[in-house]
Amino acid sequence: MRKFRYLLYKDYLLLKRDVAGLLLMFLMPAILVVLMALLQESTFQSIADVSVPMMLVNHDKGELGSTIDREVEASGIFKITRDIDGSIPTLEELEKEVASSRYVIGIYIPENTTESIRRNVARYVLATFSGATDLPPMDNVNFVVFVDPTTKASFYATIMSTLKEKTQKIEFTYIMNEITRQVNEISPIPISTLGFAGEQVHIDIRDARLQGKDLVPNPVQHNIPAWSLFAIFFVVISLSGSIIRERQDGSFSRLLTMPCSYTEYLLSKAFTFIVVCLIQFGLMLLIGVFVMPLFGLDSLNLGTSPLALILLALSAAVSAIGYGIAIGNIANTYHQSSVFGAISVVIMAAIGGIWIPTFIMSEPMRKIGMLSPLHWGLSGFLDVFLLDAGVRAVLPECGVMLLFGLVCFAIAVSFNYRRRLDV
Amino acid sequence: MENKFAIETVNLKKTYKGKSHPTLNGLSLRIPYGSLFGLLAPNGAGKTTAINIICGLRKYDSGKVFVDGHDQSDGMKAIKPLLGLVPQDIALFPTLTAYENLKILGGLYGIKKSVLEERIDQLLELFDLSASRHSYINRFSGGMKRRVNMIAGMLHAPGILILDEPTVGVDAQSRMMILEKLTEINRSGTTILFISHYLEEAEHICNEVAFMDDGSVICQGSPADLIRAYTPCDSMESIYLKLTGKRMRDTQ
Repeated sequence: MRKFRYLLYKDYLLLKRDVAGLLLMFLMPAILVVLMALLQESTFQSIADVSVPMMLVNHDKGELGSTIDREVEASGIFKITRDIDGSIPTLEELEKEVASSRYVIGIYIPENTTESIRRNVARYVLATFSGATDLPPMDNVNFVVFVDPTTKASFYATIMSTLKEKTQKIEFTYIMNEITRQVNEISPIPISTLGFAGEQVHIDIRDARLQGKDLVPNPVQHNIPAWSLFAIFFVVISLSGSIIRERQDGSFSRLLTMPCSYTEYLLSKAFTFIVVCLIQFGLMLLIGVFVMPLFGLDSLNLGTSPLALILLALSAAVSAIGYGIAIGNIANTYHQSSVFGAISVVIMAAIGGIWIPTFIMSEPMRKIGMLSPLHWGLSGFLDVFLLDAGVRAVLPECGVMLLFGLVCFAIAVSFNYRRRLDV
Repeated sequence: MENKFAIETVNLKKTYKGKSHPTLNGLSLRIPYGSLFGLLAPNGAGKTTAINIICGLRKYDSGKVFVDGHDQSDGMKAIKPLLGLVPQDIALFPTLTAYENLKILGGLYGIKKSVLEERIDQLLELFDLSASRHSYINRFSGGMKRRVNMIAGMLHAPGILILDEPTVGVDAQSRMMILEKLTEINRSGTTILFISHYLEEAEHICNEVAFMDDGSVICQGSPADLIRAYTPCDSMESIYLKLTGKRMRDTQ
């Protein structure tokens, strides 16, 4: 333990003395998080070429439900699924599907929607012809639209306006046709429909939530974890560089001639840089909570499970450190490690959904994206920040990230063993 | 049977992956206790490979390595505390001070803090570096770095000190000082394996030398005995050139 303390002291001093490196490690991510959160807030994202996964549950046996189904599909924006393993889902099942991020949007058209509207129109027509001054009570007709709260705000706004426009147009056309039909049945004399409100169907838009959870999503909730993860992974450059420098200047070999094992050497590096990652992540969260409101954005809501948050941050740090150690052992020069490290982290961020949501990616790309630890990290953090998930809910994400880190660590040890000892 | 050798290699063979020519081709080396032993060889003859194998930094294909009677194939645990390596590279942390470097490296040997601090003070004094103890290594001259590099290998008072080109790139004053201190340390009972390109240095301080070429020892003895044996050669350099020729080895 005393030896390990000296190794930690060495890594701590080396970090502390590299003031420029430390500034880059903390200042750059902070700037990145603030800028990206601000930029993404105001960026309009086109969804013209996007196929948004949607689950459409139509319990209405009438004409309105099928027309909405047909028209939404004809828009070409949505990739529609209508059942789960052959059965039509209930409202609760639909919410669960959307909350689990399998679909971005879920539309629920209740039973007898067409019939209810037809009855409302009949009551209105009858009241108008009987000379009543007050409109009769109407049946409630509620569509429910669930939205995955992890959907980026700009996409959310665009998708919802497109959806509203479609459904209202269909609804209005249908009601006008129905009024005309029913009036013609009673009298050939044309009547005015000005007193009848076109919006008989109320669209109830809800954020899909896991049972009993109640957090309000905002862009900060999406952007802070995404860019913080990205920043955590940039520790790869500093860590791999430190391993390569020590290998090249001979201090690594000197350490191994002392009573210090390679595992102890790596553990000391890993421990020191994990602490750096955790401090870095804490700083990003503080920026989300206290600095973002200064720019007119919402404050970051940290969810209700600090333990889940710590577990996720630790797992993300382990995966980043494992990756950094692997690069440090595989690369021959500092130049190789810095270029490969930086580019590979950008690629992992891109396929992992940090820049663009994974749902707009093609199916093969979505599958490839699952190889990125950033994908799992982001998914876990969004669960905590948006769905108010606890420790149990984020265990799969933590497990994948830890596994990624450990596999990288094993690759590093095996590679180092073969190269160093020439076996 | 009593072991007479601090380091002994028996028919050591090593061929690097991807190479057809062996770097060590049956190296048998015997370094007696208490000697100041010079290992002399052209570039690419396998000196560094031999040191790396003795220190456990490389695996070998066949043969045996014994350090203080311990068979290296049984593991390095018993051997590591006995060895002090002063590598050719300045294997120090440049952004740390001389004192911080020595404290960390000494600490890894598990030396008690008070004992370690006393030892660092003594060695800094011995190598005339006390005034620069809290200066950063990257601000040291080449000679000062070499001296700290040497101290780092001696902090745990090893029984066997291995020095790979300890005087490369230093001025005459620093070189003289390093050689004097090595002689003093050897007199106090430490076995020293000294590797150098400067043959006059070896002739001056070593009590036994071995010439190595193409991965094996081609002759071994005290400088005086070798000069007598290879008459009319009158120096280590002339014997060296006679034995190894003028062909470049490191271009193979």
